[in-house]
Formats: sequence, C-alpha cells, structure tokens
Amino acid sequence: MVDAARHPKIKIKTYTNVERVEGYVGNFKVQLREKSRFVIRERCNGCGDCVKVCPIDVPNYFEMNLAPHKAIYVAMSQSVPLTYTIDMDACIHCYKCVDACGALEAIDFSQQDKVGWEDIGSIIVATGFNHFDPTPMTEYGYGQYPNVITAMEMERLNNSAGPTTGNLIRPSDGQNPKSVAIINCVGSRDKRYNPWCSNFCCMYAIKNAVLLKQMNPEIDLTIYYMDIRTPGKGYEEFYDRAREMGIRFIQGRPSLITEDADTHHLHVHSEDIALGKVVEHQYDMVMLNQAGVPQPDVDTVSSVLNITQSQGGWFMEYHPKLRPIDTPTDGIFLAGACQGLKDIPASVTSGSAAASRASRILHSDQWEIEPSVALVWPDRCISAQGKQCGLCAKACPYGAINVEVGSAAEVIPAKCHGCGGCVAECPYNAITQKHYTDAQILAQIRALLAEKPEEKIFAFRCHWCSYGGADLAGTSHFEYSANERGIRVMCSARMDSDFIYEAYRLGAGAVLYSGCHPQDCHYITGQQVGATRAERLTKIFEKLGMTSGRFRVEWISAAEGDKYARIINEMQKVINSMPREQLLREIETLRPQMEQRSRRMYDTPQINEAVTYSDKMAAILTHKEVPSGRA
Amino acid sequence: MEEHNPSTAATFAAQVRSVPGGEHLDLCYSCGTCVSKCLIQQKLEPEYNPRRLLHMVMMDMREDAYQSPTTWLCSACDLCYPACPQQIHISSLIGAVKTLAVQDGHVSPLETVQVDETLCSGCAICVMSCPYEAPHLINKEVNGVMDRFSEVDASKCMGCGICVAACPMGAIARPGVANADILAQMKIKKRKDVPSLVVFICDWSLRADEDVALLETFPANVRVIHIPCSGRIDPQLALYALAGGIDGVLVCGCQPGECHFKRGNYVSQCKISLLDQMLGQMETAQGRVRFIQLGTQERGRIRLEVEGMLHDLAPLREVR
Repeated sequence: MVDAARHPKIKIKTYTNVERVEGYVGNFKVQLREKSRFVIRERCNGCGDCVKVCPIDVPNYFEMNLAPHKAIYVAMSQSVPLTYTIDMDACIHCYKCVDACGALEAIDFSQQDKVGWEDIGSIIVATGFNHFDPTPMTEYGYGQYPNVITAMEMERLNNSAGPTTGNLIRPSDGQNPKSVAIINCVGSRDKRYNPWCSNFCCMYAIKNAVLLKQMNPEIDLTIYYMDIRTPGKGYEEFYDRAREMGIRFIQGRPSLITEDADTHHLHVHSEDIALGKVVEHQYDMVMLNQAGVPQPDVDTVSSVLNITQSQGGWFMEYHPKLRPIDTPTDGIFLAGACQGLKDIPASVTSGSAAASRASRILHSDQWEIEPSVALVWPDRCISAQGKQCGLCAKACPYGAINVEVGSAAEVIPAKCHGCGGCVAECPYNAITQKHYTDAQILAQIRALLAEKPEEKIFAFRCHWCSYGGADLAGTSHFEYSANERGIRVMCSARMDSDFIYEAYRLGAGAVLYSGCHPQDCHYITGQQVGATRAERLTKIFEKLGMTSGRFRVEWISAAEGDKYARIINEMQKVINSMPREQLLREIETLRPQMEQRSRRMYDTPQINEAVTYSDKMAAILTHKEVPSGRA
Repeated sequence: MEEHNPSTAATFAAQVRSVPGGEHLDLCYSCGTCVSKCLIQQKLEPEYNPRRLLHMVMMDMREDAYQSPTTWLCSACDLCYPACPQQIHISSLIGAVKTLAVQDGHVSPLETVQVDETLCSGCAICVMSCPYEAPHLINKEVNGVMDRFSEVDASKCMGCGICVAACPMGAIARPGVANADILAQMKIKKRKDVPSLVVFICDWSLRADEDVALLETFPANVRVIHIPCSGRIDPQLALYALAGGIDGVLVCGCQPGECHFKRGNYVSQCKISLLDQMLGQMETAQGRVRFIQLGTQERGRIRLEVEGMLHDLAPLREVR
C-alpha cells in the first residue's frame, strides 16, 4: 500500500466520493468530491501530536466500537495516506490540536469539500462487502447477552493490535473465556435474512478456532455448523488439522441461546445431528459467524456507474462464467466481493484480473466496438420537436442513449452493444440499427413469405439463443416441419411489432417469437423488453380473434434444439388442424387490421426501396425454372 | 427399516407435496433447528424428530413415516416455524403426513379426551374451545329420542385438556388429568407460619433442565401440579383450592405465541384474571390467584415467581 502511494503514476484518493460518471470506455469523466478532513494532507506528517491533546472520545468503528478514538483520528495506524481527519460531529472546537500542531500548521478548520472532474480510461469497482448485523435474530441474543459477540468483534479481540492487545476477554467480566462456541451461518443460508452461502465463513470459523487454540491450548472450542464447506486448495487439510487439535464440530444449527443471569454463561440449544438428539451445552462466550451482505450504498454506486445488480445486491457481471470481471458497461470492471462474496485468494485473483482487463484499454489507441450499433434520424425523433418520449432510453440496457427534450435522442456508439431494443421500441421509427435496418428485415420477411405464406411458420430468432437452438436442431437432425422460415435478429428486443403485423399481413400461417430465457439474455434486460412486447401482442391477437397457437412466444436456449423442433412441430399441428378455407378466411379478416397497424413503418427511410427490391426478388424466385433432371 | 425403492419413488413424497401444507417439503436441508427448538424430544419422546420425518418423506419411506411418533405428537405450536431458516411451515408438513396416515387407516397413539354422553348437553362449547377442531356434534338416538352429543375425533385430539376446562357439564375428561386426579394432588398440610400455595405448571413452559429440577426442591407448603397445558385449568379448580384453605394459586403458562397447544395460555390467562377480579368483588382480597407467562429464553424465573407469590400472599392471610 505504501509502495502504491509512492508510485509516480498512482494517485490514491481516500475520503473521496464518486459523484458522477459520464462518458464511455477510454473516455470517462468522473466527478470526485474530496471531503474535507480539516487537515491539510500535504502538511500533515502523521506525527499524532494532535491526538494526544484532543479531549473527545468517539467510538472507534474500526475496532467494532470496542475502543475509542479521538475526535481527530486516523482509522487505523497503518492508514495510507497517514493524514488525520477531524470528526466534526464530535469536535468541540477547543483548538488544542491547532496548538499542538504548531509550526506545521496542518490543521485548517475552514477547509471545504473539493469537487473536481478527472479524465479516466477505465474504472474498477472494488467496494467490497459489509457484515450482517445479527441483532434481529433474537434467538441468539446478540446485543442482549454481553458475551455473544460477532466474528468481527472476535477479530479485534484476538488481534495483537486490537483494543485488548490480543488478550481474548469476555465483555461481561473481563475474564478469559475457558470455552467458546462458534456458530456458523448466522444470517446466511437463511431465507429470513440472506439466502446465499457467504462462501468464506466455514474457513473463517476454522481459522479463528485454530488461532484461539494456538493462543490458548486449554480453551474448549466448539463449532456449530450445518455443512462444512472447504472447497479450495489445502482447505480440507486445514479442517483436518483443526479436528486433530481437539476443536469440536457439532452438526446442527442452534435454535436458541439462553443466558444464566448471574454468571452470564451461555447455553446453546441445538440438535446434534450425528447423535440425533437435542443437546444443550454451556459456554463462556459465543461467536456468531455472520453473513456477508452488500454494502449499504450499493444502489447509489449502481446508479452513479450505471451498472446493474444481481439478486441480493451484488454487482452484476457481464457473464457469470465467461466474463465474470466485466460489467455490461464497457470499461468498468469488478474486483472482489462487490461482485459476490469471495475469500482472500479469490479476491486477489479477481483484483489482478480486473487490473489486466483495465490495462488493455489504457494501452490501446483504438477500441473495437460492436458493429451493429443504433443510429438516430434526428429529423424523425419526436424529442427534437420538444415532446416528451424517451422510450428508446428506457429500453436501453446500457444507458447508451441520452434523451433531452428539445434535441434529438443521441446514441453513444461506444456504449451501444447493438441489441436493437430501442429501434423496435421507437414509435416513430426514428432509430435504426446498422446491419439490421427495418428495410433489411422487411425485405427478408417479404422474400420468405412470397410463396404460399399461409402454409409457412415464420420464426423470429435471437442471435444468441433461439437461433442457436434452431441451428442445433438442424445439426442434431431433429426433424421438424419444412414449412418453417426463420430470420435472425440480435435480440428478441429487436423484434418490432411492425414485423409481426407485416408477417400476418403478408398472410403467414403462424409466427414464432423466440428469444433467450429471461436470465440468459446476452443484453442484460433485452429479453424483458421483448417479452413485454410479446405479451402485449399476444393480448392484441387474442382480442382480434386470432386462433390461439398461430402466434407463439417461446424462450429457447442454444442447447434446446429438441425444444425448437418440438415447438415448430406443434405449430404445424395447429395449422394442420384448421381447415384451409377457415385459415384463409381468418387471414383475410385480419389483414385490414394488420395493414392499419403496420402502416407507419412504410414512412421509414429506405423501406420503399426494400419493398420494390424484395418484390423483384420474390418474382424471380417464384418464376425460377427448376433445372431439368433435378426435379 | 424400509428401503428406498426407486420404482415407487415420488409416490409418497409427491402425495405429501400435493396435500395443502406439504408443498415446501424439498426446501429442508436438515439443519436441525426445528428439532432443538421443539420441546417434545426433550420432554416427551426421544424418538421425536421433525427433520428426520421430512427426510423419510423425501425418501418415500411411507410406513416408517406413519410409525414415527413425530407424525402424531406435533401439536402445531409453530415454535419451529419462525426459527426455520428455510421458512418451511413444518407443522403443516407434519399435518400433511398425518392426514395421509389417517386416510390409510392409522390411529393416533395419543391419550385423547373422552366424552361422557350421560352428562353431555350438546352445547358445543367444546367445539368452539378446541384449537384442533377435534370435537364436533353428532345426532344420535338414545332411548328412542334423537339428541345431540359431542364426539371427539381421536385423530385430531392432542390431549391438551382445554375442552375439559371449558365444558360446563364436566362431561369431558382426559385420563391422567381428570378433575379428580388434580383434586387428589391438592392436599397440603397447612402451616400457620407460612402461606400455602398450589402451582399449576404447564409442562411446556420450562425449557431449562435446571428449572424442571428446581420444582422438586420447593418446600412442603408449595405443591406443584403438572398439567399438559395451562388451558386445562378450570377456575373451579382454583376455587376448590381456595375453599380448601389454600392461600394462593399460581398458574404458569407459556409466553404469548409459544403455547404448545396454540392458544391454551390465552384462554387460561383470561379465565384466571377474570377470577381474580371476581374474588376482588367478593371482598376476598384480590391477588390470591395469579397467571404468569414463562418464556423459553428465560432461565431461573420460576423460582423468583414462586418466592414472590409467597411473599405477596403473607399479608392476605389476615383477610380470611
């Protein structure tokens, strides 16, 4: 840490808030608020003379409030930079510290917060995690019984730099405990509080037990656990060592701790699952091994950086297996437990990985982006005419679109990943997507439905999942109806309702609207945008009296070739079950509706050329003579 | 032991899942919290173990589950429910197993209450008082006359005795704690110097073994009478005690929300506090009967309460 502070190219900004982040990969602009310490960092040499004269004691949060610090303090003696800070909530303005500082003149009571902007190439988020507060779990009596302590309090009590200089004592009477119980999974693997396994606590409990046993071989140590999870190099061996040292392990989650009012001894009630019976053991002290929980301000960090959260409040990675360090926003990376709870080796690994991911950006002059980004036609955008809209920005999972009333929406190409959700959502067709323009897609639909459309099953597939599913169905030789005709778009979010109307207008027998499973979307929330639209369409078609089964919405992964084949076959059955006249009559009845609904699409630039072109293509295809001998 | 047989797999577990309350079966990861929260294993039946019953169900061990005391002894006090980290409503699950067991012709091994039809008036007070919906009214012809009687469903009755205390005709009895049994225990040799006290103690309100052991150490002027639930206490029993020259009656029940039989503690608290007010109106000094709630997390309180009651009774002796 000291090395890092001295490095000419590293700036450490502690006691500083990130207020705003603008820009994109390689070109972020970050607004920082350096909070006033009331001590001038350049002048303070960390001598600590001010602390000696300060008359105010404040609970020291670094020592889990087990010890005080003065109103002028550093969080811990190893702090980098070693600059003191005045806690203005506690300070009584006696100015003794100013006198003690003397000629250094490092203390400045008039200091203000400094707000400034920095140019940043890439960002690594390493905000870590917090500890679960076990007070709501009244059954364990934390906060009620003095000798029930948390893991972090234990950490300070047995730390040689801690408030007791490493002498483990009972808070109730200051005596050294002769027996200690450690309870695992306090607040984790618990649906009432946090459903997740906190990953490191089993090893943490064993580490603490071994440490206490080494410090005091006479101590009686028991670990209560549900499952001991030791999935790491050397971890199981460490667990073995703990058992060999005489640490007892009881499988069974304690349901209750009771306290003897006179002696403050604690009775832990649990089932001993190995014995199959309820046991009640007495201990001098109980340590609750709390769960890890997200930092309380994750929401602020999420919104400032525009990064999303997974369930529970951990920052969401781009892909859980293949891109665990990247966030969906290019140029922002995750390190350590803010992405999900990790032990020390895993945190170091992810930190190193994030640093190397970030340095790729810093070392390149150019950065490749997705080719199929969105583009706005400013003259068509309703926002440029001073009207409220913003539907495109709402659909964008990456925050790549800026909309301000009075000027046309603006897509930042470096942020855009090319899902096409905004293109489909725009009611004025003011956005298009390179390589997937409305005209191109429309031309494909018209070409594929040129002949006997009523027999065709028209499938919209997303690039990452359902297209792969269809592909797999083919390569696996799963047979499905030959009447299927499909096109590929990048995401189900791109499947514009106009396309569906157009397919029916052209007389398609059935339409499949397919994409990824909700949790698998390549574009974070693209599938949700698509699903909402599909749900709306389903209702519309139901109202219009379309035979159910002619419009179908399915989420198919790239591994579900069999599902793709089955669905197409089922749709074929729906068409087969309708008498041909009835089907044709239904298509004809609905055609005016579809025409009405898809009319606005024809205003879109390039559409008319596409229509003419695809009509010509269709004519050629229809009249193409089959070479003799191959029929 | 019954073998796990894959050919019949899913049948029993699926059946339990399909009974209302049985849906959350598969969430159980066998942590044992419910077992240690429950007092039945500690106080009544060492073989009782909800965690194991749930596992038996998951493994399709139908007969083992039916034979298990867990199926029959759970009184749905739901102490385990707020403690369960998987939020499984365990008593509903056990209830689902019990429902199937009853359907398959098994009978509860519990000591249940019995109705004396010669005394029963068919007033249905027992029907309203029961936390388990065990009693119901039937029409029956006796001596050529159709009449209404109460009948108790033995598969539902948990033997708490709340209906026994409620019945105005004294028509219901629970073997072991019938009125006569309790009255027989009330005989105390009275002394002039110290007040005499009857302590009715609900078996479930004391968790710590030391506290249970403490009950044996009270002096001869304090008579401890064990009852299945404080709801079993009929105010008449307290009046009998006072009429018999005993100075005070202390009824110990569970904390609100912790009654082993759902609501016996509320019923008893209402009755005892009403009785206390009535005694006050009858110019017999108030304070001779008292209801206290003992929490499962409290240790050693019963001693303080008994001593406190004896202390408070001393001045009242003059009033008689």
